[in-house]
Amino acid sequence: MGLLQRRTDRVPDLIEVEVREARAELLRLRAEVSRLQGALDSLPIGVVLVEEGGLVRTRNEAAKGFSGAGHGDILVLEAVDQHVQHALQGRVSGSSVELFGPPLKVIDVRAIPLRGGGALVAIEDVSERVRVDAVRTDFVANISHELKTPVGALAVLAETMIDEEDLEVVHRLATKAMHEALRAASSIDDLLELSRIELGGAALSEPVDVDQLLHDVAERLSESAEQHQIRIQREPVAQRLTAMGDRRQLVSALANLVDNAVKYSDAGGEVHLSASADGDRIAFVVRDHGIGIPARDLDRIFERFYRVDRARSRGTGGTGLGLAIVRHVASNHEGDVRVQSVEGEGSTFTMRAMAATA
Amino acid sequence: MDELRKTFHSDLDEAKGELVRLAASVTELIPRATAVLLDGDLEGADYLIRSDDEIDARAMAIEEHCYRILALQAPVAIDLRQVISLLRMVAEVERSADLLCNICKAARRIYGHELDPKLRGIIARMGEQALQLYNAAIASFVENDAAKAAAIDDMDSFLDGLQKQFVQAIFESHAAGRIDLQVAVQLAVVARFYERIGDHAVTIGERVYFIVTGRQPEHKGEHSYRGGADNTASVPRLAPFIADDEPDR
Repeated sequence: MGLLQRRTDRVPDLIEVEVREARAELLRLRAEVSRLQGALDSLPIGVVLVEEGGLVRTRNEAAKGFSGAGHGDILVLEAVDQHVQHALQGRVSGSSVELFGPPLKVIDVRAIPLRGGGALVAIEDVSERVRVDAVRTDFVANISHELKTPVGALAVLAETMIDEEDLEVVHRLATKAMHEALRAASSIDDLLELSRIELGGAALSEPVDVDQLLHDVAERLSESAEQHQIRIQREPVAQRLTAMGDRRQLVSALANLVDNAVKYSDAGGEVHLSASADGDRIAFVVRDHGIGIPARDLDRIFERFYRVDRARSRGTGGTGLGLAIVRHVASNHEGDVRVQSVEGEGSTFTMRAMAATA
Repeated sequence: MDELRKTFHSDLDEAKGELVRLAASVTELIPRATAVLLDGDLEGADYLIRSDDEIDARAMAIEEHCYRILALQAPVAIDLRQVISLLRMVAEVERSADLLCNICKAARRIYGHELDPKLRGIIARMGEQALQLYNAAIASFVENDAAKAAAIDDMDSFLDGLQKQFVQAIFESHAAGRIDLQVAVQLAVVARFYERIGDHAVTIGERVYFIVTGRQPEHKGEHSYRGGADNTASVPRLAPFIADDEPDR
């Protein structure tokens, strides 16, 4: 009886110990779940865990980002639902959801069945990867087109001239050949210039008077502007501004911007060139009221050889490298270049470069 | 009874989900149809025109789903408003997809004709605005947001303004000899398509407003009719369409 009493007395203590241990285990498990959820949340791709019956068990922060009411999110979630159904039947399933934009967005959705039942879905935004692939593929196609076309034309013109006896025709063909040769030379010049800027960085770092810089750029383009019947309106610089960098590169970049503005403006139009202080940078602005740039091309125009309208660009004599040069010059001067444009209303390019400290 | 209602509500949610997904698919077609028109993309036009069959089939399935709910569940109050509104909205979405097909067909008709940048710019902006209107309509429906739904009508006035601007630009472009009459007519019709897509988004917003508040949006014509503001007293009236002695048809 005494033994039973002693054992009975110990029961509450034993229960307390059990409860304490269970609590500790619960806390440990909670901490573990929280750590795992934290790890899931830190993943850049969306992860959704679905139970056997189709109920969503958990989803990380990136996956929650696709739960908006916009049509893109709805289409992504539709793809998730569809692939979950397949995965719950034991099949690996996936597809890409392409949202036209602009900008174009490509979202990969993959669902895999889990061994113990249920499914795991991964949602990944691969837009940047797709964009880089397109840039690489287009670059190879464009560079071969830009360099091979004039060379091919030269060969055909030369071949025709060999058998031609009519001097007038030979003269006409020779003029065309010269035009093609100049075009190839111009492309090569720009490529060399771009490579110099890319490899050499800002060779010089000297104070450059901004007012004088704008004056030189306007002067350089005055003849071309006159030919196109465009007025370059150089707006007065409010205060004395000095940029820090390579004067030659800055002139080249701004001249490229003004040259484009002149080429893509209608006769009788105006191109505005201005500069102002923007924190520790100088913002150079080139604004036109020309044909503008379609929205879907805006994030690609700084690529080498990218052309919005190939036929029109060829007519204007551009090499397709001007804006790539501008971007590199801006980068060499610890700045950037941005564009705002509405088709039919005009474009505004803003290039920022380091200002000289007082 | 509770279980029955639970099944009913999940059925209703399913129908709503189907409509939201259909509307999202049609919304995604808006920038694509605009690009087809601007780029003269014949392949894209063909693809979008063919995809309309799928939209039609999905719309019909939603309609049948709603009829099934009406017949089997006899919904009342907000549930009835939802089912009736779903039926109305699915027609708006399906019609919008048809209008996008018509834009693609217009792109085929004017294939090979250059459009000047001003016209292209306004087309692009009409496309963007139609996309925004549709996105706002879907969001108001998903979120049951009456305020957002009511704002769509005001947003639409911007698209109406763009349409007027576009028609003006067509006249200018035609007068300057940059586009011929056939292209001008096609473009004017395209502008009307965008404007109608905007109107369909507005109607979806009105249905959302009705679902959430139970109040019918005020239709100007209907309002003035009921208010007795009839300024047409002197206009000769047509004979009734169906005569009293006409047999039932």
